[in-house]
Amino acid sequence: MKYILQKLGFYLIAFWAALTVNFFLPRLLPGNPVDIMLAKLAQRGPVTPEAREAVELLLGTNTEAPLIVQYWQYLGKLFTLDLGTSVAFFPASVTDIIAQTLPWTIGLIGVATVISFVLGVALGMLAGWKRGSWLDNLIPVTTMLQSVPYFWLALILLFVLGGMWDLFPLNGGYNVYETSPGWNLEFIGSVIYYGTLPALTIVISSVGGWMLGMRNMMVSTLSDDYILTAEAKGLRPLRIMTTYAARNAVLPSVAGFAISLGFVVAGSIVTEAVFSYPGIGSALLNAVGSNDYSLMQGLFLVITLSVLGANLLVDLLYSFIDPRTRARS
Amino acid sequence: MSSTLSGSRRLGLAAASLLSVATLALSGCAGGGGASTGGAGSDASSVTVFNGATGTISENFNPFSSTALQPTLGVIFEPLFWYNAASDEEPMPLLAESFAWNEDGTQLTIKTREGVKWSDGEPFTAKDVAFTFNLVNETPELNTTGLAATAEATDDTTAVLTFTENSFMQEPSVLGNRGIVPEHIWKDVADPITETNPNPVGTGPFKVKDFTAQSYLLEKNDLYWEEGKPAINEVRYISLESADAATGALLAGEVDWMSSFLPGLEQILSDNENLSYVNTPALTASIFTCSNEELGCEGPQTDPAVRQAIYQGIDREQLNALAGGGFAGTASPTLVLPERDAAWIADPENTETPANANVEEARKVLDEAGWVEGSDGIREKDGERLSLGIQTVTGYSDFISLNDAMAQQLREVGIELKPTQITYNEWINNLNIGKYQLTLESIGLQPSNNPYYSYEKWYNSANTTPVGESALNNNTARYSNPVVDEALAAARATNDETVQKEQYGIIQDEIVRDMPYIPIYVNSLLTEFNTERATGWPTNEDPYALAATWKAWDNGIVLKNITPAE
Repeated sequence: MKYILQKLGFYLIAFWAALTVNFFLPRLLPGNPVDIMLAKLAQRGPVTPEAREAVELLLGTNTEAPLIVQYWQYLGKLFTLDLGTSVAFFPASVTDIIAQTLPWTIGLIGVATVISFVLGVALGMLAGWKRGSWLDNLIPVTTMLQSVPYFWLALILLFVLGGMWDLFPLNGGYNVYETSPGWNLEFIGSVIYYGTLPALTIVISSVGGWMLGMRNMMVSTLSDDYILTAEAKGLRPLRIMTTYAARNAVLPSVAGFAISLGFVVAGSIVTEAVFSYPGIGSALLNAVGSNDYSLMQGLFLVITLSVLGANLLVDLLYSFIDPRTRARS
Repeated sequence: MSSTLSGSRRLGLAAASLLSVATLALSGCAGGGGASTGGAGSDASSVTVFNGATGTISENFNPFSSTALQPTLGVIFEPLFWYNAASDEEPMPLLAESFAWNEDGTQLTIKTREGVKWSDGEPFTAKDVAFTFNLVNETPELNTTGLAATAEATDDTTAVLTFTENSFMQEPSVLGNRGIVPEHIWKDVADPITETNPNPVGTGPFKVKDFTAQSYLLEKNDLYWEEGKPAINEVRYISLESADAATGALLAGEVDWMSSFLPGLEQILSDNENLSYVNTPALTASIFTCSNEELGCEGPQTDPAVRQAIYQGIDREQLNALAGGGFAGTASPTLVLPERDAAWIADPENTETPANANVEEARKVLDEAGWVEGSDGIREKDGERLSLGIQTVTGYSDFISLNDAMAQQLREVGIELKPTQITYNEWINNLNIGKYQLTLESIGLQPSNNPYYSYEKWYNSANTTPVGESALNNNTARYSNPVVDEALAAARATNDETVQKEQYGIIQDEIVRDMPYIPIYVNSLLTEFNTERATGWPTNEDPYALAATWKAWDNGIVLKNITPAE
């Protein structure tokens, strides 16, 4: 119990620190939202000198107040879950934007990360179990794919599979022409079809790391004495591979998985830019482009929460999988 | 993807975008013919528009809002008149039939069109017009045009606006830039500022049918006042993340109308017989100079001779070939569009910029001003080197090429140009507070073709501030000239165009000499169409409206004039 409380306390402090950084970081950006909005308006049509006052009133940008006052207001509002109004998507609220974009990102990147992890660990386990087999030779190939810059790989795959062969759509989250969002088979099928190519690129570019890590841990675990003991007891090879070797070998990968789960939200920007996917990454790009402090803060908050949350979860989970970590308490 | 977005990836993304355009362009041969994947759905008379929307689309059909979805203005709501920015013609009456000013410019009488219905079936009257302007006047948050007038409907087809002062120059804002809303609906709107108006009732040719965060669909307004229009049934707007994605979608037949610069456009068109384009240059790419030493500008560009030498020393024909793709139009040193507004240029000498570099002249100007050539070919004066920093936004590839080419050209004259690339946010901030020597920016569209709006915005000393304070996207060159201010005041006080032209002549002589904004060329504005589902788009021969997909008001004109393809 004390272990859990300690952990929670630590996470609370980390959370507060992240919130504070969240607040100050966007304000260090050059420019201010009003100028940027006016400049964008000017690209669409005429903007008169009077427009600035109107936009300032509209956005309620009270930059007069000292930063410390704004900071307290910000903390206060966070506790009532009032994340403010977005400038880039005015008058939509930040909560709305997050609610619209987050499911797409978690759906695509989250599922792809889980698939990549499960696949990588399973293949790595087999490769480590049968050293020197053809699976072992696959590892350099996958690590090479991982070392290729992700955007490059994604663009090539998009070009070949989407452009040349026309197997997958070029962009978007679903077929906007023929389906509309809802719990119907058509829409869900469309989402899966449109998500396949982006998910594939993520899996291809990240599976190598899991595989290599798992294989190497497998190899070193297999040379341990208790494996020899297990073999001497005459246990079935499958049982030795899974419950004896793999269970111990997977531990470092689980920690790595936690971290990568946390970065699901943050790491989606490139994928979403390449595939025009309607997720949180594109919202973040938009927010930064418009100096949209509220939206940036809201999105960073989601990222912070997901990183901390994933870590906390694994910390707690770890104490179950690996009893050694809570031995002292 | 186990790791996060690293810095190098982000940089790489920009680099790769060029390549991907090239690859997608190549794929045109493969993907272009088959429109089977694309947009039409079941209904043949429907078009898909990409207007530059990226990411999630936020529902907002409030015509007063600065972030309203772009078809709100022109397609769903209409103004009283339409000002065509593509050619020099009288405003076209939409919801009004005529207007008249009183002598001293304080009262504007508008005759409204009869027989117009709102899309919910209620009749449109002058009361709606009066209501709209009163609402703007009473709500400072909505008043983006500085309107100071009360409006009254004297009968069902007459609305009278009474201004507090001479307001001739408000004419295009009032008549051409304000969507009229129905009183019977908007009088009950609790907060017109944050209203998102999800089911808009307008007079425009289309109304909203379906909305999602990725795309929205407009359908034909059966009650539209103009007989037989619109001819197409549905218009879909989609969101795409980048110009590359848009190019791919256009080639795949998924987009019918978009505005984007496509490298290798001619090649793409010759491979795809359904695609066509129109080029309507309207924005003058210029070198903005921080010109006024008194307001805190620093550097050699505060000397008018240096600005004049830059103006003479660049080879625009070469720049157009290198950076403009050969699509740019010729600019005028008076900063109006010579093709459209030649009538507003007082001295024919000032109609067009020189096509080629005039190195002799440029060197002469600098010699006379006391800039002498140093050992490395760069001039100096009183120990100050004629070396200038020029800023542009990272990723604006045409502007970056412009800078590089001009740096080479100006070396001939003895001027050193040092290009830097910065983020958009930093660039716009630097421009506004005057933290630059030279910067590349476009002189944008104005409420009407009358040059008053450009001159007032960019040259009036009332619209500038000392360096360090934001000049609010107005007179960012910090230009200050009492002669110009006086001429502007005189032009403002009348709506007699001959008097105005006289005053503009005075202004033009001053600014052609002082050159705080050095015009390069009129940047191309390319719009691409797919004629497979609809025809009747604007063409280079008949650009009946400014066809850019992001242009408010003109969109409605285009969409109601196109017809389904046979």
